[in-house]
Amino acid sequence: MKQAIGKLLWWFEERLELRTSLWTVMRHPIPRDLRTQVGWLYVFGSTAMTLFVLQIVTGIGLGMVYVPSAGEAYESLEHINYNVELGWMLRAIHNWSANGMVVLVVVHMTQVFLMGAYKYPRELTWMVGVVLLLLTVGMAFTGQVLRWDADSYWGLGVGVAMVGRIPWIGPELVELMLGGPSVGSATLSRFFALHVFVIPGLLFSALAVHLYLVVRKGISEPPQPDEPVDPATYEEKYEAKLKTGDPFFPDVFLRDAAFIGLTLLVVVGVSAILGPDGPGIPPDPTLMHVEPVPDWYFLPAFAVLALSPPSLETAIILIAPVIGVGIMLLLPVFSGTGQRSWRRRPVAVLVVIACFLCYGVLWELGVQEPWSPHMTAWSGEPVPPHMLKGLSPKELQGAAVLQQKTCRNCHALDGLGGQRGPDLTDVATRLTRDQLIRQVIQGGGNMPAYGKELNRFEVEALVSFLETCKPKGYAAAESSVVTDRAD
Amino acid sequence: MIEQLFTSRPRRRQKPLCGVWYRLHGWLCVLPLLCCAGCFDSLPGKPTEAERYRRPNTIMDFATLYKTHCSGCHGANGDWGPAPPLNDPMFLAICSDEELKKILTYGRPGTPMPAIAKQHGGALTDAQIDSLIAGIRKTWGKEVTPSDPPIPKYLPPEAAGNVEAGKDLFASHCAGCHGNAGRGGDMAGALNDSGFLGTVSDQLLRRIIITGRPDLGMPNYRDAGSKPLTSEEIADLVALLASWRTADEGLTNETDAARTSE
Ligand code: HEC
Ligand code: HEC
Ligand code: HEC
Repeated sequence: MKQAIGKLLWWFEERLELRTSLWTVMRHPIPRDLRTQVGWLYVFGSTAMTLFVLQIVTGIGLGMVYVPSAGEAYESLEHINYNVELGWMLRAIHNWSANGMVVLVVVHMTQVFLMGAYKYPRELTWMVGVVLLLLTVGMAFTGQVLRWDADSYWGLGVGVAMVGRIPWIGPELVELMLGGPSVGSATLSRFFALHVFVIPGLLFSALAVHLYLVVRKGISEPPQPDEPVDPATYEEKYEAKLKTGDPFFPDVFLRDAAFIGLTLLVVVGVSAILGPDGPGIPPDPTLMHVEPVPDWYFLPAFAVLALSPPSLETAIILIAPVIGVGIMLLLPVFSGTGQRSWRRRPVAVLVVIACFLCYGVLWELGVQEPWSPHMTAWSGEPVPPHMLKGLSPKELQGAAVLQQKTCRNCHALDGLGGQRGPDLTDVATRLTRDQLIRQVIQGGGNMPAYGKELNRFEVEALVSFLETCKPKGYAAAESSVVTDRAD
Repeated sequence: MIEQLFTSRPRRRQKPLCGVWYRLHGWLCVLPLLCCAGCFDSLPGKPTEAERYRRPNTIMDFATLYKTHCSGCHGANGDWGPAPPLNDPMFLAICSDEELKKILTYGRPGTPMPAIAKQHGGALTDAQIDSLIAGIRKTWGKEVTPSDPPIPKYLPPEAAGNVEAGKDLFASHCAGCHGNAGRGGDMAGALNDSGFLGTVSDQLLRRIIITGRPDLGMPNYRDAGSKPLTSEEIADLVALLASWRTADEGLTNETDAARTSE
């Protein structure tokens, strides 16, 4: 029996010759320096790849139930959530693993950048990596549209704005992308095709090239400050290192496997605890007051687009991304040799810190979306009772007017309410009665004028309430201290 | 060259550290699966019907409806808001469901109370308004012990109130807190002020005199003076307050100035 199996295997081996192909690849040598802790920095790429495989597996599962038609997509997702056995888990894993993949690709890229691994002779590996990043973001972007809830309109809107600005062929491209002049059922089919066939296909191909290059050019050794890259001598030095290297399988592979396992556990755990994302509000134009918000990784873009003045929009939407991607792609051309260690590359470190800071700040803004009014604050957010204590009947009535005229949608009291205008809790310490009246009646600075909507009684009540908005025992603002705003 | 290295490298034994990982690894993967098997349905991530998106017009649950549409003015718990408390058993005892429905459907024009019904520019359907009213009653309505004399009616009597009689009543029942002629006192603010009177309905004045405002310290019809106020006396008081509404013209000059400099 054993012999028979052995024979069978040998029959295949004779024809496949895996021992000299796959096995040698599996055993390709990795520089010894990775044996120390620093080796753990080399696990992100393979983990991202594993999550990609997980995406494909779960994606196929979802594809069996999802209906890519505008009329049924939303219901089919609810069906998966509520009726299909463990369907929610499948959606959750697909979602969280996508999040993980985006994170890991960025972490992997940061590591490669900081350790100078993109320099000679691995420039092409980096460039293909940039393409992989773009394709990953493309997957995230199109995937979000497939959720087909109100939030997916954001992705569509941005896509249209971006593509529509391409000179000459913009409008035609928009029509191609949407499958018509506006968002409709053809749109969803197109994004489905992109998400399921086109981008994964490209991703696979680019990944193959990336892996080929990684194996062919070898894993970069951890940089030493006193060993800058010189194309004339690098290969020789590197090969000397490989002579004493460890085989990828099983030595180095185990470390990857450990991290991959951990990541999978986290993904499954988070999925089990937090569950799937959405679908949120159905895409229905009759549901008002819905402001589409993208998935978290696009929040900075959301913030930038919402805050940029119209005159700069083309620059920000179209030109900035092109320049950004261009810089990333051409990076190894500019700095393909020389110092690799981050200790001697302060500019590189600063660039990374600056990028993450920018991202973080814009993200925070995106989370709070201070620019959009909160549509139900006026009828939903209570006036803090401590601000009502000891008020006269007129002042109380002013608080009711403040609510009724929807001031709360833009202005918070005690932090509750919209953030578009200043918090009014202490407004009386800043503005005098005259200034308050003027602000309410004439508006100004992104605040609408309320003069026509308020009768004199309402203005009187409202302003008398605003005058009480100051901490206990605190003097009211005086005109001589505060500069007159309306001038 | 590298290819030669692939083939010529000697086999190495795996390191002990890796061995530990290797062994742990299998367990790390299997353990959670064992834990999860059979209890998938109780995992916290499983979407529940409660999380399912519901169109705004299918929400019937009182707490949610109240929290999104009323608490801004009537307070988080139905009191301590700028608008009259709904969390007030005496008010709920005298105000009928039809009356409540009318208020919610049409709002109170000329006051901050908005129309809630869809057909009048609000956000809620008829069924939602009914469930809101039922919820208000269930949450805040209490059996009020019958009192002697009975609580005055919510709606005013047919006959119009008498301003002169109101003046006397005000002096005896209200001036102690609200000041002479309602100009404000130590205990309570001014009532004789069109900023207040110009934005409230007579119906609200009547209701406040009947129920008081327990949250703010305003006494009800029984406790305001030495003797409980009758329905007619309350009408007289409301007539007096209403007469002040039109009399006070002092405040408006400055708002008009701001308007014309627009
Ligand atoms: C669309 C959003 C919006 C609404 C609605 C709105 N405001 Fe404003 N409000 C603003 C903005 C933005 C500013 C800041 C204006 C500026 O920078 O000059 C502001 C400023 C103010 C200020 C000056 C605050 C300060 O500290 O300088 C007052 C007072 C004020 N609003 C009162 C009101 C009142 C009362 C209402 C309701 C009648 C109201 N606002 C409705 C957006 C709004
Ligand atoms: C924008 C503020 C505001 C909102 C939101 C609001 N109300 Fe009112 N409501 C008022 C004011 C102010 C009055 C007093 C009106 C008057 O002067 O007659 C009032 C009066 C009422 C009254 C009659 C009370 C009485 O004594 O006659 C009822 C009942 C009522 N509201 C219920 C509700 C319910 C239920 C909701 C939520 C669907 C709601 N209101 C939302 C401001 C509001
Ligand atoms: C024990 C003192 C006291 C007496 C007596 C009293 N009130 Fe009040 N009243 C208050 C207080 C306290 C408030 C809350 C507002 C404030 O502090 O100014 C108030 C508020 C009011 C309000 C406004 C309620 C609102 O929701 O804005 C009205 C109207 C009113 N009183 C009418 C009367 C009338 C009419 C009488 C005579 C029958 C009267 N009050 C007697 C203490 C009193």
